Amino acid sequence: METVNTTPSPTAPAIRLRSLHKNFGQLAAVDGIDLTIQPGEVVALLGPNGAGKSTTIDLALGFATPTAGTAELFGGEPRAAIETGRVGAMLQGGALLPTMTVAQSVALIAAAHRHPLSVSEALERAKCTEIAKQRVSKLSGGQMQRARFAVAIVSNPDLLILDEPTAAMDVEARRTFWQSMREFTDAGRTVVFATHYLDEADAYADRIVMMAAGRVVADGTPGEVKAVVSGRRIRASFDFAWSPAIEAELYELPGVRSIDHRGDVLTLVSDDSDAALRTLLSHHQDVHDIEVTAHSMDDAFLALTASASKSVPDAIERAPRIEAEESTLIGDRS
Amino acid sequence: MSIAYLGLESVRQLKNVRSTVFTFAVPLVMLLLFGGIYGSSGQIDKVTGLPWIVVTTVQMAGYGGMMAALGQAFTIVTERSVGWNRQLRLTPLTGVGYLMSKVVAALAVALASIIALMVISVIVFHASLSFGGWALAALGLWLGVIPFALIAVLIGQFAKPQFAQPLFMVVFLGMAILGGLWVPLSVLPDWMTNIAQVVPSYWLNRLGQMGAGMGGDILEPVLVLLGWTLVLGAFITWRYRRDAARQ
Repeated sequence: METVNTTPSPTAPAIRLRSLHKNFGQLAAVDGIDLTIQPGEVVALLGPNGAGKSTTIDLALGFATPTAGTAELFGGEPRAAIETGRVGAMLQGGALLPTMTVAQSVALIAAAHRHPLSVSEALERAKCTEIAKQRVSKLSGGQMQRARFAVAIVSNPDLLILDEPTAAMDVEARRTFWQSMREFTDAGRTVVFATHYLDEADAYADRIVMMAAGRVVADGTPGEVKAVVSGRRIRASFDFAWSPAIEAELYELPGVRSIDHRGDVLTLVSDDSDAALRTLLSHHQDVHDIEVTAHSMDDAFLALTASASKSVPDAIERAPRIEAEESTLIGDRS
Repeated sequence: MSIAYLGLESVRQLKNVRSTVFTFAVPLVMLLLFGGIYGSSGQIDKVTGLPWIVVTTVQMAGYGGMMAALGQAFTIVTERSVGWNRQLRLTPLTGVGYLMSKVVAALAVALASIIALMVISVIVFHASLSFGGWALAALGLWLGVIPFALIAVLIGQFAKPQFAQPLFMVVFLGMAILGGLWVPLSVLPDWMTNIAQVVPSYWLNRLGQMGAGMGGDILEPVLVLLGWTLVLGAFITWRYRRDAARQ
C-alpha cells in the first residue's frame, strides 16, 4: 500500500479512491475502482445488488482494508476524517438500538463526537422532532430512516454517505426525506448515496456513478448517463398479422437497433426515430396509438449493467443475445 | 475518550429495566428468602466470625454484582447483532474505547446492585455491621467484579446471538455455585471446594467477607483476581486485534 498523508486538507477531494480492490476469497467484490468526488458534489451510486456498492462504501470509510489500492477522505486516512466528525453515514446493517428513544440515540452518538450539533437541532433538521420521544422499536420504516438520518448528521458532517436511505419508505416519506437531505446539503456539503431507485438518482444527484460487478461502468451527469443508450423507442399497436417477413421488413427501417412484439403492440428502438416512424406510417396504415419516448434512466441502467456482465466469464455465451434481451426488458418495463 | 459518552452509556445501562431483573431481583429474592428463614436469629458464622446475616448479605451482593457485570455480555452481543457498533465506528470512539465503556458500565451497574442489596439487608434484617465494614465489603466486592466485566466482554466478542444465552447460563451457574455465592461451600462436597479455589467468584466473595470483617490476608484474593484480570485482558486484546486484522 502507498503511504497516505494523514492530514485532512480543506481543499482535497471529499473522497478519492485509487485502483481500489477488495476480494472475499475468490470473489472480487470491488475490482479496480478509481473515483474522485469533490466537495459539494451530490453523487448517486447506482447498481444492482452485488455490484459492490456497500463494499466500496465500507472501504471508503476505512471499515474494511482494501486488498489493493487506497481510499482517502479529505486527503487523509478515512479514520482521521471520522474522528474530526467530518463524515456522517447511514449504512447497511447499521441500526439503532430498539430499546432507546430517537432522542436518546441521537444524544448518545452526539456524546461520542467532539463538536456535535445540539440534539434538538439534529432532530429538527431530520424532521424527527415529533418522533423524538418514541422508542426505536415502535418506528415505521420511514420514521426509522429519518431517525438514522438524524444520527448521521449530528456530527455536523461535511460528507454524508447514505447507503439506500429510502429503502422501506413510501412515496410521501421518500419525498420528505429528500427534502430534508436537500436542506442539509444546500450549504455545500458533499453527499454520496447508493440507491435502487433510478428516478431518485435522476432527480437528486448532480452526478451518477453506475457500478456493476465491482467496477464503475458509467460516470457522468444524469443526462450523460442516459445518453449512453442512444436512440428513441417507438411503441405502437398494429392490426396486421405478425410474421417473420414483416419482422424482416421492419428491420429495414432507418436506424433500427431492436424490435420486440407482444400481442398487438410492437416496440422498436431506432437511432433515427423520425425517419423510422415516417417510413413505418407510409407502409402500414394499420399502425395506431403511437408513442415515441426518449430512453429513461432505467434503460441506461439495464444496458450498462448488462454489458458489464459480458466481462464475467460465465456470461460469455450470453453475450451475442444481450442486445435482444435488453430490448425485451425495456419493452417489459413500460 | 469522551467522558460524556461514558456517563451517558452508564446511565442508560442503569435504567435498563430488563437487565435489572437479572442483576438485582434474583439476588434480592434469595436474600429475602434465606434471611427470612435463618436470618434474624443473630447466629455467628464460624468461618468469618461475622453475623450469619452479614455473611449472606455480602454473598448475595457479590452475586448481584457479578450478574450485573456478566449482563454486559448481552449488551455487547445485542449491539453487535443490531449494528449499533457500526454506527459507533462513525464516531471518534475507538474499538478499545467501546470495550472500555462496557467495563465502566458493568462496574457502575454492579456498584448499584451491591449497595442496594446491602441497604435492603440493613433495613429489613437489621444486619449489624459498622459503616466501615459495609463500605470495605462493598469496595472489595466491587473490585472483585472487574474480572467478570472482562468475562462479559469476552463473551460479547465471541458469542453469536443464539449462543450468548446458553454460554451466559453456563458461566453464571458455574460461577455462582462453585464460588459459594448461592450456598456456603461448607455444605458442598470437598472436591467442589477444591475447584472453588481457582474460580474468581470464590475470591470475589472472600474479598467481600474480608472487607466486612475489616481484616484478613487480602493478598491472596487480590493476586488471584489480578491473575484473572490479566489473562482475560490478554485474551480480549488478542481477539480484538484479530478482528481488526480480518476486516
